[in-house]
Amino acid sequence: MSDNNQKPDLNEDLNVLDAHGNLVEASAASSRENQLQENGMEPVSLWIILACFAGVLVAGTVLGKSGVLSANSYNEFVVSGYTQAERPGGAEEVIVPAAIIDVFAKKGAKIYQAKCQGCHQPTGLGDGANFPPLGGSEWVQGDTSALAQIILNGVIGPIKVAGRTWNGAMPGQAAGMTDEDLAGLMTYIRNSFGNETGDVISIEMASNALADYKTRMGPAPVAPPIKVAELESKYMVSLKGAKLDPATKVNPETLEVVAE
Amino acid sequence: MSNDQTNTLDARLRTAIDKSVSNPVMFFFTTGALWLVVSILLGVLASLKSHWPTFFEAFGELSTGRAYVAHLNVLIYGWCFPAAFGAIIWFMSRLCRKESKHAGIIVAAGLVWNFGVVIGLLGVMLGKSTGVPWMEFPNQCWVIFLFAYILIAIWSFVQFRVREGGHVYISQWYILAALFLFPWIFCSAHIFTFVFDGHPVMTAAVASWFKSSIVNLFFIPVAAASVYYIAPKVTGRPVHSYSLALLGFWTLIILGAWGGIQKLTGAPLPAFMPYVSAAAGVLFFIPALTIGYNILMTTKSHHDLAKKSPSLRFTVASVIALIGMGVAGVFLNLPSVMRGTQFSLSGYGYEILALYGVFSMSMFAAIYYIVPRVTKREWLAPSFIRTHFNLSAYGVIAVVMGSILGGYLQGAAVEAIDQPFSDAKATAYMISIFNSIAWVIILISNLAFLFHILLMAVRLGRHSKHATLIEEHHGSSPHGADGKVNNY
Repeated sequence: MSDNNQKPDLNEDLNVLDAHGNLVEASAASSRENQLQENGMEPVSLWIILACFAGVLVAGTVLGKSGVLSANSYNEFVVSGYTQAERPGGAEEVIVPAAIIDVFAKKGAKIYQAKCQGCHQPTGLGDGANFPPLGGSEWVQGDTSALAQIILNGVIGPIKVAGRTWNGAMPGQAAGMTDEDLAGLMTYIRNSFGNETGDVISIEMASNALADYKTRMGPAPVAPPIKVAELESKYMVSLKGAKLDPATKVNPETLEVVAE
Repeated sequence: MSNDQTNTLDARLRTAIDKSVSNPVMFFFTTGALWLVVSILLGVLASLKSHWPTFFEAFGELSTGRAYVAHLNVLIYGWCFPAAFGAIIWFMSRLCRKESKHAGIIVAAGLVWNFGVVIGLLGVMLGKSTGVPWMEFPNQCWVIFLFAYILIAIWSFVQFRVREGGHVYISQWYILAALFLFPWIFCSAHIFTFVFDGHPVMTAAVASWFKSSIVNLFFIPVAAASVYYIAPKVTGRPVHSYSLALLGFWTLIILGAWGGIQKLTGAPLPAFMPYVSAAAGVLFFIPALTIGYNILMTTKSHHDLAKKSPSLRFTVASVIALIGMGVAGVFLNLPSVMRGTQFSLSGYGYEILALYGVFSMSMFAAIYYIVPRVTKREWLAPSFIRTHFNLSAYGVIAVVMGSILGGYLQGAAVEAIDQPFSDAKATAYMISIFNSIAWVIILISNLAFLFHILLMAVRLGRHSKHATLIEEHHGSSPHGADGKVNNY
């Protein structure tokens, strides 16, 4: 039944010698191996010990160079007497003067992105629910002194913008605002988002606005947000300062007027 | 039981163990050899493009920056780790005298690992590199690697737990240390870089620490395990000194994790961090010297064997490179040298010395020893092995010496502030051309190796009782052509 019992010890196809040879070959590599021996107990050479101590000595010297452990090592790695080589040809980088309105608006756009667009949106049109638009706003295009005080102090209470009354609380943005920043920002918003007053808020005007802000603030560390009533009673004027032609050429890096 | 019977039983056990791990070991070695060639091709490309920018310009996926990143990462994740896994699995099975029962899972995990390498390489080529040195493969890859690693490594722990006999051999110390330390280093580095939102300067410090630690605490220990196994096994002598082995092991493990941050000397970090790392880099000399000296003394008086046996020759080359790495560590970490070489090619030279000169050479030794045992075939052609050894040795000496010394000159030229900067560029240009030639030599060497191991993988090796030796026998054996028993 089962052919187990009938399986011959040898069939004629199988050459015993070959089969044995194959088996021996198959395990040849592992048969010819040496056994791993117990570990040797040679004493450690004096030269090795000395070499290791030399290594420790060098390492100690390196560590000693760190000086005060918590100090910053920057100065040690700056070569004294380094001066920047001249540009090839020795020419200074050429700065092209540009129209003041463009330069200021460009500077203001950066400040707008950092400080304003979170609420008033990148479009400058507000969110339609809590934050009023700047585009088409009578406050933005109107008297410059009032606009400056709104930016610097912030506003609290109801305010009518673009045909609707908004009742929110805008925080003041005076922190870190320089004359140049304020001039740029005001120039930007008065000439963007559909607003086209076409005028430039000069650095002198911005400086006066900041002076007004400091007067209002008094000795307090920060001024409270302003209300519409206070704006209407005190600040419905234009900022003091000479008006500049929007096409005046200025240096885009220093913002100084370039003599033609 | 007679001695002869014991030997036969031993041989039978060894054959059974070899058979049980045959598939995973050959899988890791062959895929590793394949990735090694890919990596070297990318290295040649990166090196060529650094002095010949318009070469291969049309293919933007392999611009200089991407090719260089792909070159190093494929070398590490495609070749170094898999080669280490193959060697670890075989050494551990043999030393614990246990067959592996999970070869299938290990091969599957190996496939997952290689899948990670493919994804990572494509990611780098498509510009998704993370930009963190040696961790450039896009973020998800490290999770794949960790997962695959656990499935690959856990069985070696299990084997160690159930090992036969109480004696723990030196190679086992190193393998166990490497297996334990890898997850710690790998996870710490990747979690602090990609999971926690740390300060960017600290990320740079973590990345430098990762580079140094993974070399000192994974690749060097695996290399040490290999040389401590092969040298006594092939020569039939005991390891020269047990005390030196202990000294080498513990200094390496204790000092290994302190290095790396010297790369950031002068960065806005507390000054002690780079200096402690530099000191640890100098102290690496001690384990390097003791391991190297111990192996060289073990193989002393067997110079003829080192000429004939491929495994022993690669082993000797590897430990000489290890001693060289110790000396280079002392030289490169001196503050006076460090300030010049910090932003030069020297660091790359040191990395290639560690990854290729020490680690890869020891893995080649292991592969030449292991593959005939697991495939039951002997290596086909001594000339291939000779080509592999000679060109690898000359190539790596050229890359390493060129980069370390050239980097020193380059650094000195950058420091010379009264000279035009173009002088420094000219030095670097020279080194790049030199490196390109050296990498082409290494490429030829490893094409021979890849071809050879692929033949072995499809069982096209020689049927013989005798090992393939690099040099033919001079004169005849008194026992006739087939009667000579050899041990290699």
